[in-house]
Amino acid sequence: MKPHARLFLLLLATPFLHAAAPQESDYYKITSFETPRETALEVSSMDILPNGTVTVGTRRGEIWNISNANGDAAKAEFKLFAAGQHEVMGVAWKDGTLYQTNRYEVSKLRDTNGDGRADTFATVTDGWGVSGDYHEYAFGSRFDKNGDLWVLLCLTGSFTSQTDFRGWALRVKPDGTLVPTCSGIRSPGGVGFDADGEVYYTDNQGPWHGACTLQHLIPGTFQGHPGGFKWYDKAANMGKRPTEPNDNSRMVTERARIKELVPPAVYMVHGKIGNSSSFIVCDLSKGKFGPFEKQLFIADQSHSNISRVYLEEVNGVKQGVVFPFRKGFQSGLIGGRMNDTTGQIFAGGSDRGWGAKGGKPYSFERLDWTGKAPFEIHEMRAKPDGFELTFTQPVDPATAGNTASYSAREFTYIYRAEYGSPEVDDVIPKITAAKVSPDKKSVRLTFDTLTKGHIHELHLDGVKSAEGNPVLHPVAYYTLNEIPSK
Amino acid sequence: MIKHNRTYSMPRLPLFLSLLATSGLTAAELQVITLKTLTAQMRFDQTEFSVSPGAEVKVVLENTDDMPHNVAIFQPGTDVVAVSNKNVEDPTAVKRDWLPTDPRMIAHSKMVGPKSRDEFTFKAPDKPGVYPYVCTFPGHAGSMQGKMHVTAPCPGLTGTTYAVYLGDWTKLPDFTALKPQSEGTFADNLIRTEFGEMKKGFGAVYTGKLKAPKDGDYTFHLTSDDGARILVDGKKVVEYDGIHPAGDVKEGKVKLKAGEHTFRLEYFQGAGEIELFAAWSGPGFSPTVFTKWAPEGWDGKPAKKKKPDAPSLPLVVGTEPVIYRNFITKSGGRPFAVGYPGGFNLTWSADQMNLALVWRGAFIDAGRHWTDRGGGETSPMGYDVLRPTVDVGPPFAVLSSLNSEWPKSDKAQRPRDYQWQGYTLDNKRVPAFAYAWNGVAVTDRFDAEGDATGSGRLVRTLKLSGPIPANSYLRVAQGTIKAAKSTYLVDGGNFDIQGRTFDNKMDVSVEGAQIAGQNLLVPARPEIVLIYTWTTSHADHAAPNHGHGQ
Repeated sequence: MKPHARLFLLLLATPFLHAAAPQESDYYKITSFETPRETALEVSSMDILPNGTVTVGTRRGEIWNISNANGDAAKAEFKLFAAGQHEVMGVAWKDGTLYQTNRYEVSKLRDTNGDGRADTFATVTDGWGVSGDYHEYAFGSRFDKNGDLWVLLCLTGSFTSQTDFRGWALRVKPDGTLVPTCSGIRSPGGVGFDADGEVYYTDNQGPWHGACTLQHLIPGTFQGHPGGFKWYDKAANMGKRPTEPNDNSRMVTERARIKELVPPAVYMVHGKIGNSSSFIVCDLSKGKFGPFEKQLFIADQSHSNISRVYLEEVNGVKQGVVFPFRKGFQSGLIGGRMNDTTGQIFAGGSDRGWGAKGGKPYSFERLDWTGKAPFEIHEMRAKPDGFELTFTQPVDPATAGNTASYSAREFTYIYRAEYGSPEVDDVIPKITAAKVSPDKKSVRLTFDTLTKGHIHELHLDGVKSAEGNPVLHPVAYYTLNEIPSK
Repeated sequence: MIKHNRTYSMPRLPLFLSLLATSGLTAAELQVITLKTLTAQMRFDQTEFSVSPGAEVKVVLENTDDMPHNVAIFQPGTDVVAVSNKNVEDPTAVKRDWLPTDPRMIAHSKMVGPKSRDEFTFKAPDKPGVYPYVCTFPGHAGSMQGKMHVTAPCPGLTGTTYAVYLGDWTKLPDFTALKPQSEGTFADNLIRTEFGEMKKGFGAVYTGKLKAPKDGDYTFHLTSDDGARILVDGKKVVEYDGIHPAGDVKEGKVKLKAGEHTFRLEYFQGAGEIELFAAWSGPGFSPTVFTKWAPEGWDGKPAKKKKPDAPSLPLVVGTEPVIYRNFITKSGGRPFAVGYPGGFNLTWSADQMNLALVWRGAFIDAGRHWTDRGGGETSPMGYDVLRPTVDVGPPFAVLSSLNSEWPKSDKAQRPRDYQWQGYTLDNKRVPAFAYAWNGVAVTDRFDAEGDATGSGRLVRTLKLSGPIPANSYLRVAQGTIKAAKSTYLVDGGNFDIQGRTFDNKMDVSVEGAQIAGQNLLVPARPEIVLIYTWTTSHADHAAPNHGHGQ
């Protein structure tokens, strides 16, 4: 190949980066742990013990206790607590006992002889069906504010409901009673709580799911996929079977027809935020994790990343916005948990069977705040005629107050039995005003049109901080289930 | 071609090939093969290597794994898995560190402990062929094996010359129309591309003689940066023209008569990287490389794009029982598999609350479930699989009389009067399964006594507490049953598991049992002890085929 061609290629390959351009790693640092060589630590669930020990369940059916995980990764100690389970998709610590949710049951694990390994596996409940189809994952939560565990049952093959309560969320009471709680689950990826203890889960793109979603689990509701409706016959507490949704419709339309139907709180926009939403973490660290206290952090298996969600309640419905937050984890994230005391997120996963950008077959990692706050949208709230944005740092009024610094698009997904959906029903709104608050920490945007049920995609490419930095992630996707009246 | 990351989609290069290429190795010289073990994967790092007939071969086994391994090499055609499994049955094998006594074994290492090494030297057989090698430690043979190829290399080039040309080409020029800038010979017959300070804009033509050892199809292998072609007896055999990196190795085949042939290799360099690789291989002869350089990973075999089968991930039972819960054939819903020290294994359904399968030898291969998404059922890895009750159904029933029909179980339904309560592990990590039946708390525990391949026995203890309903029976076994004192000879008929046929014959010892047609029943009582052994002694059960099925 000729020399001048070589020079040209070199030029092409050189990114035109401003020397001081802020990067995610300036604010949030990923630390990777070397995992035990005798296993493949395909992390699928996680909890943190009161003493800081991280407990992880794995797809290979093991449970490991990882101590000294808060500091130098080389000093972390991994100890096998239990093995031989079938996919541990939930671990939860309570009063000296570890509860696991595996494919078949919720059970209490105890180490009665003090050798560091579980020797008692007492069934709490096994009251759901297992057909032998590999896709029938059972995701277990940690204990909710009422002392209940939640079990989310993936559909058979992620499409149908061949055996008891496939496609349902069940609650496990302290006495082991199993309470059918929500229908309409498709293929869950994680379950967690917000700062008020409300329960959410992530579902994955597929039939009746145009994209991955974050959904609010309100007892008695229907979450969108009608595949498991037949089990209303075995769930007297749930009342009558809801009206079937119409195919090729819109969520906003069907919500009006089906009173039990809860719209996704946030669409995790396909391909842009992720392709396979997984664990849910709420920042309860009181500032140890940076400026996003009480916000949610949602992982993605396929994109090996974590996104950030700010939620609000409008007309009694949860809705909110998702922002990119941190990419670059080593494998497909599945299990994760924040240490509320130290403000560190522990995250692990696997790319087995479902590829992930990270590239490693499995991983266990930690995300630490560096102490430096990024310039980001802090919160985004819906208003009757637009949105209010607050920022983590004062804005430059010249750029933040200029409507030309913003662009927006509104779209939705088809609500249908077919797999996934393109982005449809585009509306291009005009941003008619951008008013910076006197303290320069917020901007009020006025749109000429808002569309109920649409995802409002906002770009802030022109906005600068008072210090002259661009927004680290200058894009937001707000799911506008309800337009507030004031 | 300018520098970039290059990948070769081929297996790792056996070390000796490159040695052969550079030193013109003869059979009398020492060939060193280094085999490493892969941590927790039950595999060697190389599944194939080649040696020359009659060569002195040194094999270095570096065991980087956490468990013991050896390597033993056998005559062509030996079923090394069968040999290893049979060896496990031999009670004296443990004293030999699991080394088989099979006369077909031609060389072997010691059993090498974790993080240790051993080496041994032997004379390679004179007869070309494929000689299998294997780790004979119990349970390893299924996955931990490979092939030693004994092949003579093709003869090398002789009388090698070169001619260098200058020019700025994007394709191979017609060198015959050009005047060489310099010419010479390579006394060591090893083709190279270094000509003084020349880095770009040159070409070279290499010639020499090849002696085909016999009539047949010969393959020429070629890759280059930038273009090249090989001509044999003046005819083009393989070409990789144009500006490109040295990517995939191209191949061309030609029929040659035994005897001498002319070889011509044409090459040109544009700019950037300079690489040239040429080799040949023939009928029953391993490749010989003509060039100083060979791509990393080249082993003379065409690149295979085929997706490999799920790797074998056998679970090895050490001093404690090993539990594995997943989808297992003919084992009911929610099955457990338990492998016990001594080579006993069983499955037990936490849906039906009953024993399903018993077998001896290797435990379970988790490869199917721990690769990709992990769908489908796996089956016992070992042999002599038994099914005490033909269908896995609930263990207890209330019968109006001994000869009443045993209730039919519906596999699609979980038995309603049973509740799964979990399991405990004792200090030796032996599980006891617990469930409730009609208000009776039941534990079901299995103890492996001795060696499954010898006189060992599997002892099952059921303990019942709470008021036992009247006329309750435990069904112990199903089949044609004959009583001999307190032992029952049970012939459950043949059955198949994933293409392997098993002869379902066992001896069951239990106090107070009664034969009721095809069922062996025990009245329910607070403690029931059952002993299962494979039928070996009784004439009625002198089965020639115990379904070794490997």
